[in-house]
Amino acid sequence: MEAPKFERGTSLSIFVSDRREDFSALIFAFAIAFGVLFLA
Amino acid sequence: MVYTVKSPALLIIGIIMVAWGWLNAAGQVDGMQSYLQKSAYGDHMKVKEKFDAESRVATEIAAAEGKPAPDMKMPKSKFDSAKATQTKMSYYFGGAFVLIGLLTLLWKPSEGHLDYYISVVPGIAYILLIAFIVRWGLDPVFANWGKAAEPTLGWNFAKILNLNYVVLGIVIGMIIVNVFKIPAWAANGVRTARFFLKSGVILLGTLYSAAELAQLGGLSIVMIGVFVLGSVGLVLFMGKRMGTPNSMTAVLSAGMGVCGVSATVAASPVVQAKAEEIAYTIGTILIFGVGCMFIFPTIGHLLGMGPVQFGAWAGTGILNSAQVAGAALAFDPHGIETLKVAEIFNITRVLFLPIIVLWLAAWYVKHEVGAEKINLGQVLVAKFPVFVLGFIAMFALSSIGTFAPAGHYAGKYFSSAEVKEDKLLKAKEVRALEGEIAKMRTPEETKALQDLIANKKLMTREQSQTLRSVAKIEGLDPLAKGALDKAHKAAQHDSKTIKAYRNWIAWLFAFGLIGLGMQITGKALKQAGGAPLIIGGVVGTLKAVGSLIVVLLFVKEFI
Repeated sequence: MEAPKFERGTSLSIFVSDRREDFSALIFAFAIAFGVLFLA
Repeated sequence: MVYTVKSPALLIIGIIMVAWGWLNAAGQVDGMQSYLQKSAYGDHMKVKEKFDAESRVATEIAAAEGKPAPDMKMPKSKFDSAKATQTKMSYYFGGAFVLIGLLTLLWKPSEGHLDYYISVVPGIAYILLIAFIVRWGLDPVFANWGKAAEPTLGWNFAKILNLNYVVLGIVIGMIIVNVFKIPAWAANGVRTARFFLKSGVILLGTLYSAAELAQLGGLSIVMIGVFVLGSVGLVLFMGKRMGTPNSMTAVLSAGMGVCGVSATVAASPVVQAKAEEIAYTIGTILIFGVGCMFIFPTIGHLLGMGPVQFGAWAGTGILNSAQVAGAALAFDPHGIETLKVAEIFNITRVLFLPIIVLWLAAWYVKHEVGAEKINLGQVLVAKFPVFVLGFIAMFALSSIGTFAPAGHYAGKYFSSAEVKEDKLLKAKEVRALEGEIAKMRTPEETKALQDLIANKKLMTREQSQTLRSVAKIEGLDPLAKGALDKAHKAAQHDSKTIKAYRNWIAWLFAFGLIGLGMQITGKALKQAGGAPLIIGGVVGTLKAVGSLIVVLLFVKEFI
């Protein structure tokens, strides 16, 4: 049976994989770091 | 599958937040805020008093000159800033949640990306509302209670038991999931907790710098290095022998080896630790740490240890920063010498965090995937937690001075050029220092003191450290000692950027830990069993006894 299209993430994460979560966190954290540095 | 659950909850949370923002802005809750933000309110009263006096004088002068009273504005106090921050955050988040809440009520969701991402928002709002209550309400309330009970108990229970937003967040999350259950509309958002925790860990790298590590005393680095790495290694070894899960062993090793609660939190996503394993580790550390805090000072006095020896022992052997400070103050309540030494050792330990995080990441990948059978390099590339590299990258950027001058620690740094005119030494203080030149013990001390006298401020970080030890010389003129302390303080500065990062980290951790707490059930805690507690107890005791022996053998008067 084909898996439902939007059955996503795990019980601990909304991301499809840990690596995706890592990269998203990386982008988010760097956005905060440089956002604070240049905008604040 | 459609994920969005139709519920007015998001709209209600948004309205509550906006209402709180308005109450704050209108000054309707100033009475409550003055209790919650006691020290900021104290600053507010001082600013107000000064402003009232200046305003009165200006009005009298204007009246004498026949002019109208000047229109003066009271400068912002810390209390005003804290209230303004709460107002701004409540308006921004509350406003967004009201809009999305209305949208979800009116919109007919259909399967797709938009539905998936919208379904996450109510849970985020739910955790954020609890985070607001924990950080703005419970954390300061417990801090106030701890201080109020100190004269009776003899110790600050909120500080010693770590009843801050970190522990309170996890506890509140656990209460919600075990007593009330997580509402269906919030379930999807709770799964964002680990993402925010990882983001917080990456940002944590901005607080440290390699130069600070190099600056610390040689003995403290060697001693802490041996005990940190030894404890981590021992926990990993015992965990393997006793068959505890790899993630549990790894997260316990970080907690037992580095710096208690923060190391546990930082290492948890690296080794994919389950929420109950984090709670278990934190519980073990806190129970062990509280015991140490009461036992260490007694042993210290029985063995006749000096402040330097005791500080070195407490900073190495006790697992948690607050308990290190508690034990040092319990040992020496009137002087701060012991506390200072303990803090040096404590800081050194925290600075080992990047090394331990890398070690645990590699260890976990190897043991979890069974890398001995396949190419470790390939497994590392496929499974290594990328966000750890982000933490290391932030640490590297911080070390080269991207966010604050290189050599800072947690945003505090030395700068001679930034010493303000009114902080320069006065003629009387310079004369007092001139009278002490003969007491200098080395040419470096003499040169550092002469430079301070000539410039009326400290010129280099090295000289600052040299003169810190000069200030400890017995029989020094109190005025000269005061001048050295003043010069030291004047050259120490706080980075505003790092302060902002600390605030972000605190929010990300508060959010992540409340969400993690919501994944800890009583049943899961029972399943963790007694093995981690035994490992923690054995390693903690070995560390405490081992560091005591090393301190008694090698630590004398100065580090």
